Amino acid sequence: MPREFEITYNAKNIYDDWVYDAHWQFLIIPVENENQHEVEIEFSNSLFANTEYSINGYGFKTLRVHPKKKFKEITFEAKFKFSKEEVDPYNFKINPDISLAYNELHNSDFKIIHERFLKSTPFTSLENKQEELFKFDNSISIFDNLEALNLFIFKYIKFTAGVTEVGTPLKQIIAKKKGVCQDFTHLFCALARNNGVPTRYVSGYLDQDSGYVGDSQMHAWAEAYIPEIGWKGFDPTNNILANTNHIKVCYGKDYNDCAPLKGIIHSQGRNKTIHTVTVESQQ
Amino acid sequence: MENIENQIFSSYQRNPDLYDEIHDKKGKVKEIYQKLFNLYGEHTINDYVSLNNKAKASFFNQGITFQVYGDNNVQEKIFPFDLFPRIIDPEEWDIIERGSIQRSKALNLFLWDIYHDKKILKDKIVPIELITSSANYLDQMNGVNPPGGIYNHISGTDIIKHNDGKYYVLEDNIRCPSGVSYVICNRTALKKALFGVFNHYQTHTVTNYAENLLELLESVKPKGVDIPNVVVITPGMYNSAFYEHSYLAKTMGVELVEGRDLFVENDFVYMKTIKGPEKVDVIYRRIDDQFIDPLEFNPDSVLGVPGLFAAYKKGNVTLANAPGTGVADDKAVYTYMPQIIKYYLDQEPILNNVHTYHCSRPDELKYVLEHIHELVIKPVDEAGGYGISIGNRLSKQEIEKVKAEVKASPRKYVAQPIMSLSVHPTYIDDTESFEQRHVDLRTFTVLGKDKEFVLKGGLTRVALKKGNLIVNSSQGGGSKDTWVLKK
Repeated sequence: MPREFEITYNAKNIYDDWVYDAHWQFLIIPVENENQHEVEIEFSNSLFANTEYSINGYGFKTLRVHPKKKFKEITFEAKFKFSKEEVDPYNFKINPDISLAYNELHNSDFKIIHERFLKSTPFTSLENKQEELFKFDNSISIFDNLEALNLFIFKYIKFTAGVTEVGTPLKQIIAKKKGVCQDFTHLFCALARNNGVPTRYVSGYLDQDSGYVGDSQMHAWAEAYIPEIGWKGFDPTNNILANTNHIKVCYGKDYNDCAPLKGIIHSQGRNKTIHTVTVESQQ
Repeated sequence: MENIENQIFSSYQRNPDLYDEIHDKKGKVKEIYQKLFNLYGEHTINDYVSLNNKAKASFFNQGITFQVYGDNNVQEKIFPFDLFPRIIDPEEWDIIERGSIQRSKALNLFLWDIYHDKKILKDKIVPIELITSSANYLDQMNGVNPPGGIYNHISGTDIIKHNDGKYYVLEDNIRCPSGVSYVICNRTALKKALFGVFNHYQTHTVTNYAENLLELLESVKPKGVDIPNVVVITPGMYNSAFYEHSYLAKTMGVELVEGRDLFVENDFVYMKTIKGPEKVDVIYRRIDDQFIDPLEFNPDSVLGVPGLFAAYKKGNVTLANAPGTGVADDKAVYTYMPQIIKYYLDQEPILNNVHTYHCSRPDELKYVLEHIHELVIKPVDEAGGYGISIGNRLSKQEIEKVKAEVKASPRKYVAQPIMSLSVHPTYIDDTESFEQRHVDLRTFTVLGKDKEFVLKGGLTRVALKKGNLIVNSSQGGGSKDTWVLKK
């Protein structure tokens, strides 16, 4: 039975001084794919500025707002309704000859095709010693290694809101051993890529009713490409595989490719942004 | 050393170790220069000085200036202009022209390939690391088909003549190559100063650049556009090449805009005009990739247009050169040019490449460190002659410093043998006489849909400091009018 989801995304931006010119780009629309269907979108803002639908540099759907009058405060509200098939994350088979998949990781064409998700980025770069944090055990399958990595990160980092921010480098997160879903995911990407597995950062929503950990904003998890199986989602914040409760919006190399809200604001003084997200579902 | 009899050139010192463009090996003036040599010889050095001062004043008054960076004390300077032109005979020009087109085409096919099937990487002709480690590689361009299939619409190819008398390419500039306006201004200035000399030579015009550029830009219009609206976008009047941006817009008869003059609505680009918004179809952009769209690239950019990249990706506007083109404008990619030409065109390179050592390869790094005194060390991703070290000009201490830098980040450096650029008689203010100075040549190639054009001329740049090999204007170089003779 498909589940019906309703997601509400709210953002409130408050500025000390008048803002005369602003552009916002939201990357928050659940993507339509093999198990997320018929996404209905309602979007409004307190200034009644026109909303445009566009794409980001990787082709994911965006919403753009460019108010044509000055303001000190603006709120956005988005509602997404869609249905989603139940996802069984274990619905795949591992070839008993595990060496075949490992060989594929070393194939040079494979590395070229997946280069985007194999390279390190400013958000996922490790220092030499940190690369040793997690090494694959070649006697078990790639999938088993990735599950072990998921558990490793889940234990390594203590979920703590407020100690890191968007730009905190991975090496500091490793030192502090504290962070939020983004930090868990960046570390997963870094270590999986370091072991030769193409891995991408996924941005989306998490239905927290089932007791999963996230915060009241958007969630992040990782997808790793396993030869002969394909992309598999791993949520190291919760030590689970991505399942029906993980609502995908987009993917990229790291947070930078997936930032839910980008704003180009020409204003003096300070500003404050408050986001809230609620996810509801029923069968 | 020997002296040449001719009033104005009487004190010209010819160093026989250098390749002198106007003299043959025996010191005789080459035939194509003979008339010019005699015509200039009719003047006294005093006449020449006063002409020279007038030419300088004319450049300054027209605002044909540029700025030098890396110096706290930024000021506008004129690009020093030498009144004694360089002549290229038709046979040699033919090689340069065919060679420039060959390289531009090969680079275009290379760019298409690395943003699509990546065959050249899969076939291991060019290493993948070279591409993915480049700061100018744009992931966002994967799978994008630029209108007309063109990436490097405008190329500036830096060519030198070595002391073996052959032409070598030093660099392919395909980001936002500048300098073409100087070519045209130099011609105008020389015509003003010494009109008579043009009567004795059949020289190709250089003033047809703008019409060819416009034709090119119109040839790569987005699908569904009948008569495209073309604009030139500039970072603004403080940019070192602002004069050129305004010159090109003016001579093409199109609008010169800054980012704030454009806006994007529903993935189409519009220009603000007093008559209301006007749709823009083709943008000749003189802004680097990272600044074209703050929503997609550098968020701090105030030079670009929010939403421009999405409009481009949807095929509603053409950007020339295409975003991501800079990945092929890299000194490390340059070193693979002979293989790139062979791979895509199945041809031998018409213009030579300078042999290059990749410091990223351990054996070549070893060679470089051992032979640093006879090599030029270049950072792979700096433009404008910044960060270049010439081995035989370095003190012991400096050599050790360069070695340490190369060892610390080998991917950042390549090394080449020290090329001996040809020399050309150039008037030197300080000595009030003609002296040998090293020169290079930048050609300007435009590539459009079923269109290719090389400006018959080019920018001859002169290293004004005695013995200096770096000709970039940002490093204190000057320039000469360059004549390509008709057949």
